Amino acid sequence: MSTEVTSENDLSLFLGMLTLRLWLAMRSLQTGLEKFTGMTSGATPVEIDGAANSYGLTESTMTKTYGFGYYQGVPGPLYDKFLAEPLIPAFGLTLYNLFLGPVLLLLGVTLLIGVATRFTLFAMGLVYASLTFGLILIKQDAGVAWLGIHIIMIVGALVLSKHNRFTVLKKW
Amino acid sequence: MTTQLSTLSRRDFLAKSTLGAGLVLGAPSILRSREPGAPADDIRVGFIGCGKQHEVLFNAMVNIPGIHYVAAADIMRDRLGRTFGAIRGRFDTQIKRYFDVAEMLEKEDLDAVFVSTPDFWHAPHTVMALEAGCHVYCEKMMSNILEGARSMVDAMDRTGKLCQIGHQRRSNPRYTYTLNELIKKEKVCGQIININGQWNRALSSSQDIVSKPSILPKADILRAYGFGNGATGELTEEQLRHRFLNWRFYTALSGGPISDLGAHQIDIFNWFLGGQPTSLQASGGRSYFKDREHFDNVMCIFDYDTPEGSARAFYQVLTTTSAGGGYYESFMGTEGTIEISEREAYTNIYKESGADGTKWDELVRRGLLKKEAVGQAAGGADAIASYESAPPDKYALPGGLNKAPHQPHIENFLSTIRGEAKLTCDARHALESEAPIYWVNEAAESKETIHFTDEHLHT
Repeated sequence: MSTEVTSENDLSLFLGMLTLRLWLAMRSLQTGLEKFTGMTSGATPVEIDGAANSYGLTESTMTKTYGFGYYQGVPGPLYDKFLAEPLIPAFGLTLYNLFLGPVLLLLGVTLLIGVATRFTLFAMGLVYASLTFGLILIKQDAGVAWLGIHIIMIVGALVLSKHNRFTVLKKW
Repeated sequence: MTTQLSTLSRRDFLAKSTLGAGLVLGAPSILRSREPGAPADDIRVGFIGCGKQHEVLFNAMVNIPGIHYVAAADIMRDRLGRTFGAIRGRFDTQIKRYFDVAEMLEKEDLDAVFVSTPDFWHAPHTVMALEAGCHVYCEKMMSNILEGARSMVDAMDRTGKLCQIGHQRRSNPRYTYTLNELIKKEKVCGQIININGQWNRALSSSQDIVSKPSILPKADILRAYGFGNGATGELTEEQLRHRFLNWRFYTALSGGPISDLGAHQIDIFNWFLGGQPTSLQASGGRSYFKDREHFDNVMCIFDYDTPEGSARAFYQVLTTTSAGGGYYESFMGTEGTIEISEREAYTNIYKESGADGTKWDELVRRGLLKKEAVGQAAGGADAIASYESAPPDKYALPGGLNKAPHQPHIENFLSTIRGEAKLTCDARHALESEAPIYWVNEAAESKETIHFTDEHLHT
């Protein structure tokens, strides 16, 4: 009886850990990927008297596109606000802007496939903590609270880490 | 990277570049550059000024082919770095960076430069670049003073180079279509009798700009570049840096909100009516920002004589409220009103209830207009029938602009360099339109009507 209960608990904890892993991995992976997006516009010429108008009036369509050329680690409006903060050095912001997207992608992949899951989770926590630092400076309280939820989920995943399965590298 | 700052002062430059130069009034005001059919090589471009407006222009340029980015100049290292990074990131090109404009113009082989420095540097930088053999795209307002703007027209005529002024609405298809098709050809407004324009900006968007001191230029550089102009006594580094970031607040450095925001829209009044106003009344106040040199709120009325009869235009620029529909120019006629804005969301067209419905239906059928809504009477117990006019039907333009608002204007500039187009807003036409604006602050200060003469408005 007690063995069955333990086994059922293990299964629940494993599924809980797997769910957290998938959620946090997807969150990181997709956030990183979205930093490589831009909008490309399409246009259909407006017809007047049955022919395309000569002025260039168009009915527009916007298409989301992925590409390295669109990369922006820290969104423009936030970048400008961070740049004005005395506690954020310009060179640090430049580096952060450069690496944030690739780091989120890397952490998302390692968490998804299970490479050094605990250290990956810890590193992810550090990234979210660093983002929190910036948002505190510019008084984005809603963003701070939102990142706080991420941190709670990471801590939850670390607590459940002994139930982690389906990993490429279980160590660390 | 070049790090030497020039010792050439603005005053020296103005003396060298404009004094002794005769007006060449016979030069064509709408200019072409290369002969049609000439090789369309990449145009070698430099930037003078790398601040916010430069970013707006650059972002509007990135989708235009045939540009080779060569160099940029700014007195602020951080801005140069950002421009360098943006161009390298987007085009894998490493531009040269300069603190000094004269040195950039001397050392680099440039076809064109884009001037987006503070207003009081527009004329010196434009004249300098024209004399160095470059075509120039310069942001509006042409200058903080009328004489500065006139020196730009003079330099354009004297050098034969192109000088496009950044009244970008003049190349916007929505505006050109509205003027040529709806107002001139189809006469949907009937007789235009009143014009109303505004730019209402929220208090939150009108605050002082601040920046981290460590990235700002030092006091000696800011003094050398004229940011202490008009001040009484020696300014501290902090005061100079405030002027550097907030030059729009100072009378010696800019024309204030009426030129900063109003210039775009009063330009449309003059362009659409095809002439200059005959008189001006204005009122302004430092009602909220009491320490600023310029008025924070300005209202003015221009009178016009048009071929159809007299007309008057009211314009207000408010920096303490965003209510009231944002920014637009409204042309109100006997048959219809076109309320046009650079933003599609603020653009509306209304048919007066007494206008010929068959004509408007035909315009919709042909695709010249879109019908949006039939006018609905507000009704209610407080409505008194004899006071009410029948509500106008609402229409819209048949299409929009699928580009950054500045892109068509830059494309026009580059196409004209290639000999494929004519400038839509060369310096002479821009000054004809801007000249009345230079008198608004004076009219508001004096509380007297200004009756315009050639002395006021000549180019």
